[in-house]
Amino acid sequence: MTSADFLSEVGPMHGWAMATAAVVSAAAAMVGTLLVVRRMSLLGDAISHAVLPGIVVAVLAGGRPGGPLVIVGAVVAALVTVWLTQVLRDGVGVAEDAGAGVVFTTLFALGVVLVTAAASRIDLDPGCILYGILELVPFDTISVGRWNVPRAFLTGLAVLVLIGLGLLVTWRLQVFVAFDADAARAAGMPVAAATLSLLAATAMTAVAGFEAVGAILVVAMLVVPAAAAELLGRRLSRVMAMAVALGVVGSVLGYLAAWKWNTNAAGMIAVVLGVEYAMAVIFAPEEGLLARGIGQIWLRWRVACEDQLAAVWRREEAAGTGLAAAAAPHGFIDRLARAWLAMAGRLRRVDGEWTLDPRARPAAEMIVRSHRLWEAWLGRHAELPVDHLHPPAEWMEHHLGADVRRQIEADLGWQASDPHGSEIPPER
Amino acid sequence: MSLAPPLVEFHDVTVAYGRRPVLWNVDLTISEPCLFGVVGPNGAGKSTLLKAALGLVPLAGGMVRLFGQPLERVRRRVGYVPQRETVDWDFPVSVMDVVLMGTYSRVGWLRRPAAAERAVARESLARVGLEDLADRQIGRLSGGQQQRVFLARALAQQADVYFLDEPMAGVDARSQEQILAVLSGLRDAGKLVIVVHHDLRAVTDWFDAVALIDMRLVAAGPTRETLTPDNLRRTYAGAIDVLDEVGRAVQRRSRTP
Repeated sequence: MTSADFLSEVGPMHGWAMATAAVVSAAAAMVGTLLVVRRMSLLGDAISHAVLPGIVVAVLAGGRPGGPLVIVGAVVAALVTVWLTQVLRDGVGVAEDAGAGVVFTTLFALGVVLVTAAASRIDLDPGCILYGILELVPFDTISVGRWNVPRAFLTGLAVLVLIGLGLLVTWRLQVFVAFDADAARAAGMPVAAATLSLLAATAMTAVAGFEAVGAILVVAMLVVPAAAAELLGRRLSRVMAMAVALGVVGSVLGYLAAWKWNTNAAGMIAVVLGVEYAMAVIFAPEEGLLARGIGQIWLRWRVACEDQLAAVWRREEAAGTGLAAAAAPHGFIDRLARAWLAMAGRLRRVDGEWTLDPRARPAAEMIVRSHRLWEAWLGRHAELPVDHLHPPAEWMEHHLGADVRRQIEADLGWQASDPHGSEIPPER
Repeated sequence: MSLAPPLVEFHDVTVAYGRRPVLWNVDLTISEPCLFGVVGPNGAGKSTLLKAALGLVPLAGGMVRLFGQPLERVRRRVGYVPQRETVDWDFPVSVMDVVLMGTYSRVGWLRRPAAAERAVARESLARVGLEDLADRQIGRLSGGQQQRVFLARALAQQADVYFLDEPMAGVDARSQEQILAVLSGLRDAGKLVIVVHHDLRAVTDWFDAVALIDMRLVAAGPTRETLTPDNLRRTYAGAIDVLDEVGRAVQRRSRTP
């Protein structure tokens, strides 16, 4: 089956379901980015659950699921959650995470109880609240002109547009408050309003998400793409754009995968988002495990090469004075490094002894210089016996640049030899 | 000719966290532009005093006036440099983004920063010696550079009174010199610069006047007259035990209905 066949088989119904997941995910990723950088993702979790009783009460009062009254109910429930958490924290001294945990689970449970008790009277189903009914979204439509558009899509789109516009207008305020709330307050910024609007946006996202993916998985849409994007970007606008992209791609791929393997779409979307996060953790250009691993291996290799060069330099120096020099390290990587240096023409075998190629001499000399300078500096400034100076210098010799070396030299008053009496080579 | 109101006036200021007072009945008036140090041991309430002046903590009693007015009327004339550790330096913003935040209190956050604001921000960065790092992400700066970014943000605000919380803490010697040069420059330009500082070294070289704080105001005035052995003893080994105990007692009493 080619991908074109696959897509045509997916058909317009599935297209609407995917579009719904995508708009909800995009809105959630925007809100989630601010929650994640403000270290408030737990609160996002809490709010997306705690809005349930607000929604149920609004529906009982005659609101349409996804309609304006329901959104108001959800926002009120969200603010009650945050307020109760703060009362517990400031008034009773309960830790914030414990307080939020108690408040949102209780409110969510209250919502479940209400919805079950009133099941005969209202158009809400406990199962769909938990897991969403993405697959059924296309069948509940509203006609817009000539089109029959799913209601959940329209809710999601409205929430997305509202949040997008809100962010566009308040962007600088939100960034300032997220980065440094105290300074923002001191500068007279409306910090409380910024935070409240973020909480309201979280509640609105939860309302849109309830219909599409359910209460449990809307948390994944809020937090996971944003957390992944945070590893990838260095400016908040970029981070947010990437979170939206990851959320949308994850929603579409997740839906297609669920359709192909005939499983729950919301669950599959969350799984795909989790996979995206794992990939970000592994492949992020600087923070990623892979980049760090490569950095570690590269460092180990550089140390091995430098150790070989320095050892040969010391042997040549010792041959001049008639003293014995320590043998070069000869572990597996060290021998590999020596072989590579020989192949690259940096080391030569002359009369059964390794010697430095003139091109490699300056580099080798500067490593020894770093080593002896550090020994001398430690000998002067740290209370260490002379035989304890070598190991730290053996490590530090690979990390001192020319600037630091000059600084140390100046600090030592241009001392000519190290604590063992060896001459410190001059800077090249 | 009317008498100009004092630049900063703390009148019987008491601050409590929860219900426990941490700063007691501070009366302090600063009338002249100068480099003013707020000095005292750890936990003495120095940062709290600053936050009280900036409206960041509620007052349990007393009042603060800036330029003879309530803070709300004069916010844009007041610059603030918080402690460096209070923010997450991995936050995804560039140096320029942070410095531009300093201009919001003058021109608002709704409008995109115009060329004029960018010029102010660039000039502020140049004053702290960071003009070449404008596009760098703040997490990739050294501690001293981060502190100077905070200072540049306050400079970009073009305020008349500056409050700085431990700007010299954990900062390399070069940054320290540069920060001090900028602060002296502000003082010479007729601004009042109030600096919280926990370290007694160099206080006499840096500050024109000091307030010694240890949960209450111990002494205040020109540095040389104020930093007497007796005052220092009272600041660093003084009545703190008593005040601490009284504070706890107040907390206990207010809990029982």
